[in-house]
Amino acid sequence: MPDWAGPVVRYIIETGLPFTLKIAGASVVGSAVIGIVLGTLLTIRFLPLRSLIRLYIEVWRGLPLIVTLFLIVYALPQTTFHLTFQPWVGAAIGLTLWGSAQVAEATRGAVESIPREQHEAASALGFGWLGRHVFIVLPQAGRRLLPPLVSLLVNVIQNTTLASLVGVTEILFAAKQQVERLAAPPPAGLLQQHGFAIYGAVLVFFFVISFPLTRLAAYLERRLV
Amino acid sequence: MSLIASFEWSFIWENRGVFLDGLWETLKVSAIGVVGAFGVGVVLGAARAHRVPVVSQLAAVYVEVIRNTPILVQVFFVYFGLSEPPFNIRLPAFTAAWLMLVIWGGAFSTENFRAGFEAVPYRYREAGRALGFGRLTTFLNVTLPIGGRIALPSSINTSISVLKNSALIGPAISLPELTYQAYSLESVSFRATEIYFTLALIYLAVVWVLSGLIRALEARLALPEARRVRTRRQQRFQEAV
Repeated sequence: MPDWAGPVVRYIIETGLPFTLKIAGASVVGSAVIGIVLGTLLTIRFLPLRSLIRLYIEVWRGLPLIVTLFLIVYALPQTTFHLTFQPWVGAAIGLTLWGSAQVAEATRGAVESIPREQHEAASALGFGWLGRHVFIVLPQAGRRLLPPLVSLLVNVIQNTTLASLVGVTEILFAAKQQVERLAAPPPAGLLQQHGFAIYGAVLVFFFVISFPLTRLAAYLERRLV
Repeated sequence: MSLIASFEWSFIWENRGVFLDGLWETLKVSAIGVVGAFGVGVVLGAARAHRVPVVSQLAAVYVEVIRNTPILVQVFFVYFGLSEPPFNIRLPAFTAAWLMLVIWGGAFSTENFRAGFEAVPYRYREAGRALGFGRLTTFLNVTLPIGGRIALPSSINTSISVLKNSALIGPAISLPELTYQAYSLESVSFRATEIYFTLALIYLAVVWVLSGLIRALEARLALPEARRVRTRRQQRFQEAV
């Protein structure tokens, strides 16, 4: 590797990677939990609840993610609630809103694809609504849900890069800082342009993480459905 | 409603021109992106489905690379990376934006159309050949009309994603589309709440109206047998996934 690469890689890993991991971890867990609960509740035939969840899904799935992030990071602090987050928390919240809407939609489909007879048999055995869903329906729906969940995980990881546009020093932003530093005149930089190599390395990084997961999703889809 | 007490909606109205200009730019760049992605998708999807040597393998690599890397990094790589020596290709922001949308949407379109074309029963193609059609004529008259309609619902989702992705390309490369216009307006006026709520409402309106229109079109174009064969339950699950 050339001389300039060492400090660049160290900076991206030490400064950028932790933020990417924190945002990805928080939003993957948040999306899965909130999404599965909302998606299951959406199958209940109670109109006010249904319309509320439907609105939630349509809004957060309909908005471009970057607009959601701008809303949370820039607009919320100005309302009279004065909600202010650290930018990475705001990014994680935005990704969770978007991801949970996706998971909810997939969960609803998976739950509704379980035949009515399964519900009826469970009821006949004396299960209530909660027991029926926790022990009978969701375990079966889970098998159908797993492939889209893995794909969603990949999407969430890739979309953490959008946090760079609201000022979070995650991997892409850290890479951008390094490209700009190297392009500056000495002593700060080297008056060299290495954007192609550095952004290329970031592409490779995400590909190495995403590709096995995409393959896993495809494999699960063949195996489980 | 203390939440909106401090809002000044008149500010949005006074700056409506900014939003309208941005919306026009968004629609232009997305339209080129959607049409281009369809073109790439039909051609490469056909190559994949018919296992055209070399082209098919290259298309598979292209699809996997685009689907497994973040679009924002792709934009940085192409827009900033290629502007450096030895390439020195400085694309105008508008060209870079639609090019990236075509490249990104094309990869997803390729998968959609590959699946659609592969779903056309082989005997249909055999029937076409038996009638004396060549390979290309069979494709244009048999595989494309049937497989294209099978691929329609997923292509539509891809098209809407293309429009939504224009929103992140704007701020990334300073293309004055809707989101970047709103962002620039906010940075001189500091009215983040009004501006971003308006921005969100515009996007929701555009996305919802387009989805509605497209769904109506899709209902007209759907294959009659597809309607009959798939049960309502399967269909809902597939739409959801």
